[in-house]
Amino acid sequence: MSTDKFAPQTEAAKIGRRHFLKGTAAGAAALAVTPAAQAQNPSAFAASYSAPSYQQIQRDTGLLEAPNPERSVVRPGSDLMVQVLKDMGVEFVASNNGSSFEGIQESIANYGAPPNQMPEYITALHEESSVDMANGYGKAEGRPMAAMLHGTIGIQHASMAIYQAFYSGTPMILIVGRDDGFIQAHTANDMAALCRSFTKWDAQPKTLPECLEALQEAYRQAVTPPTGPTVVVIDMELQKEEARDVVVPPFRPAVIEGIDVATARDIAQQLLAANNPRLATGAFRTPEGVAAAVELAELIGASASTSATQGPMGFPQRHPLCGPGADTAYDYVLGLEANSPQLSLQRPSVAALTATRDTAGIGFGGLRANAPAEGRGAARPQQGTTLSIDAQASIPAIIGEVSRLMTPEQRRLIDERKARHAQANQEARMSALRDAIEDKKKGWDLSPVSTARIYAELWPLIMNEDWCLASPSSFSSSHHMQLWDHNKPYSYLGGQGAGGMGYGLGACTGAALAARARGRIVINVQTDGDFNYAPGSVWTAVHHQLPMLTVMHNNRAWHQEFMFIQYMAGVRGRGTDRGNIGTTLRDPFINYAKLAEGYGMKAEGPIDDPTQLAAALQRGIDTVKGGEPYLIDVLTQPR
Amino acid sequence: MRAIMNKISKTILSLTLTSAAATLAAQEPSAVNGDASAGAQTYYVYGCYGCHGYSGYGRKDLNNTGSAILASEDVFRAFMRGRADVAPLLPVTDMPNYPANSLSDAQVSDLYAYIRSMPKDVPETGDIETFQKILQAAERPYQP
Ligand code: HEC
Ligand SMILES: Cc1ncc(C[n+]2csc(CCOP(=O)(O)OP(=O)(O)O)c2C)c(N)n1
Ligand SMILES: [Mg+2]
Repeated sequence: MSTDKFAPQTEAAKIGRRHFLKGTAAGAAALAVTPAAQAQNPSAFAASYSAPSYQQIQRDTGLLEAPNPERSVVRPGSDLMVQVLKDMGVEFVASNNGSSFEGIQESIANYGAPPNQMPEYITALHEESSVDMANGYGKAEGRPMAAMLHGTIGIQHASMAIYQAFYSGTPMILIVGRDDGFIQAHTANDMAALCRSFTKWDAQPKTLPECLEALQEAYRQAVTPPTGPTVVVIDMELQKEEARDVVVPPFRPAVIEGIDVATARDIAQQLLAANNPRLATGAFRTPEGVAAAVELAELIGASASTSATQGPMGFPQRHPLCGPGADTAYDYVLGLEANSPQLSLQRPSVAALTATRDTAGIGFGGLRANAPAEGRGAARPQQGTTLSIDAQASIPAIIGEVSRLMTPEQRRLIDERKARHAQANQEARMSALRDAIEDKKKGWDLSPVSTARIYAELWPLIMNEDWCLASPSSFSSSHHMQLWDHNKPYSYLGGQGAGGMGYGLGACTGAALAARARGRIVINVQTDGDFNYAPGSVWTAVHHQLPMLTVMHNNRAWHQEFMFIQYMAGVRGRGTDRGNIGTTLRDPFINYAKLAEGYGMKAEGPIDDPTQLAAALQRGIDTVKGGEPYLIDVLTQPR
Repeated sequence: MRAIMNKISKTILSLTLTSAAATLAAQEPSAVNGDASAGAQTYYVYGCYGCHGYSGYGRKDLNNTGSAILASEDVFRAFMRGRADVAPLLPVTDMPNYPANSLSDAQVSDLYAYIRSMPKDVPETGDIETFQKILQAAERPYQP
C-alpha cells in the first residue's frame, strides 16, 4: 500500500535506506553495494560522513549479526505498567509520542511474546485529540481508556479536552511522563497541578509498586462517582528500572455503593402502591445501568422518560414503556439520575470535587451550584428529595424488593398497564414523528442542503445498523432527536461538555475506536469550525481503520458567532454588512474532501445539490461498514 | 435598566405593528416596489440568511408564511426599524435592528421584494421517499 519512495523495495534499496537514515554511509561504500543504493544516498550526506567500518558494511550486507550485548534490564518497570492496564481491560492508549514516556511506549509496542496487542497504541497528532478520543470512547462505553501526555507541554495541549471530559464526568486515565533530567521546561515538581482543578484524582508515585497501585487506583477513581479523568505522573526512572521480583498486584474493581435495603424496600412499596408509577431517567454510569432501569420499568410497569436524545447512557427511546404513557397523572415518580417531585437518586457530579481539587481557587463558573455547564441560566429547582447516591448501583436492590413484595394480583394489573402504556407511547411517537416531518421537509430540495435533509437521509441507511452518533448536534439543529430512534446507551454522545469547539472530530474518533471491534459504525455530522481546531484525527481514523462516517455540515462559518455579531452590529446601528469579518470561512473556501484525501481518507464533495446526497451517504456507509472511514463534504444551510 | 426599557418599548412597538398588520393580512398582500434580485444580494450581504436560511427557511421562516409582518412593505419596514437598539449584556441571536442609516428604504424595499419572491419548497410528505421509509420503520415493533 505504501508509495513511500524511502521504503525499501529490494534488498539493495533496504541497505541504501539504512545508510540514509543513519547518516553513516560514505559514497564509496554505497557504490560498493549497488548503484540503486547510491541513488537513495544524497551526496550532501555522503560528503559529510566518514566511511563505514568493516563491521558496519558486514552488518549492512547481512553478513554479520548485530552485536547483542546482554541487557542490563530484562524486566523493565514499564512492562508491569502495561500489564496493569491489560488486567484492567484498558483497550487503548492514545498519545502523541514524547520521550518522557518512552519506556511505556516501548513496552506497549514490544512487551510480551507475541508482542503486546492490548492496550493498542493509538497515534494521535495532537494531545487535545488524544484526550478527546478518550472522551468519546469513555462516553460510548462508560469505562476508561488511557491517554499519555508528554510532561508539562503535553498537559497544556490536552488541557481543554481534559476540561471538557471533566464536565462530562467521563472516566479516563491520563498518564503523564516525567523526566526530570531531560528538557527542563518539560518537567515540573508537581506536574498534575496544571490540571488538578479539573481532574478527579492524581498521583505521582515514587516507587514501581506504588506506581502499579496508582494506575489501579486511577481506574477505580475514574469510574467511581463522581466519575471523571484521573492522572498518574510517571517518572522515567520507574519506567526504565529493573523490576526484579516486583509482582503486579491483582486488580480489585471499584465498589460503588447503592442505597441500603431499607430504602430499597421503601421505594419498592411506593412503586407497588402507586396506580401510575413513573421512572424519570437520566444518564446512567454504564450500559449495565441502562439495562437495570429497563428491567425495573418492565417489572413495575412504569412509563419512563429518557435522556437518550441528549447524551449517552439513557433509557432506550423506543422501548414500549418509554414516553408519556397512557396516563400522565403520575402518582409516584422515581428519579433515576433525574429530578422527581418525590424521590430521586442521583450520583454526585464533579462539581462536588471543587473544594478538594480546586486548590488553586480558580472557581470555574460551570461548577457553581445549580449552574448548567452549557447554556445559560440556573438549573430548574429541585422539588422532591434527592439522595446523593448512584442510581445504577441502587436499582438491583429495588428490583429485589419489588419482586419479593409483588402479589399475583399486582402482577396482573401491571401487565395490563404495560399494554396500555405501549399503545399510548407508540401513538405519541407516530404523531410526534408526523409533526416533525412537516417541519423537516421545509426547503427539502434547496441548495445549499438543509441540515434536516442530512439527518433524514441518513436514518434509513443506518436504522438497521448498530450506530453511534458521536458528534454534538445542536449546531446542525439536532434533527436526529425527532427522526431517529435512540435505543442504545451510545446512540448519541451529547455535547462538548463545556461548550468548547474542537472536540467533535477527536471524540468521534474515540467513539469509532470503541465501535471498531464491536461491529458498530460512528456517524459524525461535523461542523466546519470545530473541524479546523485539530483536524489530525482524520489521519488517525485512517491509520487505525476506524468505521467513522464524517458528513460535513459545512456552512463555511463559525456560524454561531456570525449570528451574535449580526445582532451586535444591528443594535449598534452601524450596518450588518461587515459581520462576516472574523466569523466566516470564505476567501478561500476550504475543500474538506481534498483535506481528507490529503490525510489518506476516502472522501467526496463538496455536495450542494441535495438530490446527490443520499447516494453519497450510501457510498459512505458502505465504505465505513467495510472498515474504512469516509468523509462527505456537504455545503449546508447555516443551521 | 435603560436597555430593558428600550427593549420593552420596542416590543410594544412591534406588537402594535403586528396587530395593525393582522388587519392588513386579511386582505391580499400589498404591492412589491423593490428589485428582488438586488434584494437577494442584500439578503446575503447583510446577513439575513444567517438566521433565516438562504431561501427563507431557518431559525425563523420567512418563506411563504403568510405572516402579518410581511403583508405590506410598510409594515415590514416598520418592523425592520423598530427593533431594540441597545445591546443586551449577553450575546443573543434575536432579530437585529436595521435603522435607516444602516439599511436604506430602497434596500428594505428590495429585501421585501426578494422575500416575497421566495419560491415555496415544502413538498408533500407522500412525495418524499425518505420520509415514507422513516414512517414505515416507525411502525415496526421495538427491537432491543
Ligand atoms: C441574528 C439573527 C437574525 C438576523 C441576522 C436577521 N433576523 Fe430576522 N428574525 C430573527 C428572529 C429570531 C426572528 C423572530 C423573532 C423576532 O421577531 O424577534 C426574526 C424575525 C424576522 C421577521 C418577521 C418574521 C415573522 O413573520 O414574524 C422578518 C420579516 C425578518 N426577521 C427579516 C429579516 C431580514 C430582512 C434580515 C436581514 C436584513 C434579518 N431578518 C436578519 C433573527 C434574525
Ligand atoms: C475553544 C472555543 N473557541 C471559541 C469558541 C466560540 N465559539 C462558539 S460557537 C463557535 C463557532 C463554531 O463553528 P462551527 O463549529 O462551524 O459551528 P457553526 O456555528 O458554524 O454551526 C465558536 C468559535 C468556543 N466555544 N470554543
Ligand atoms: Mg460552521
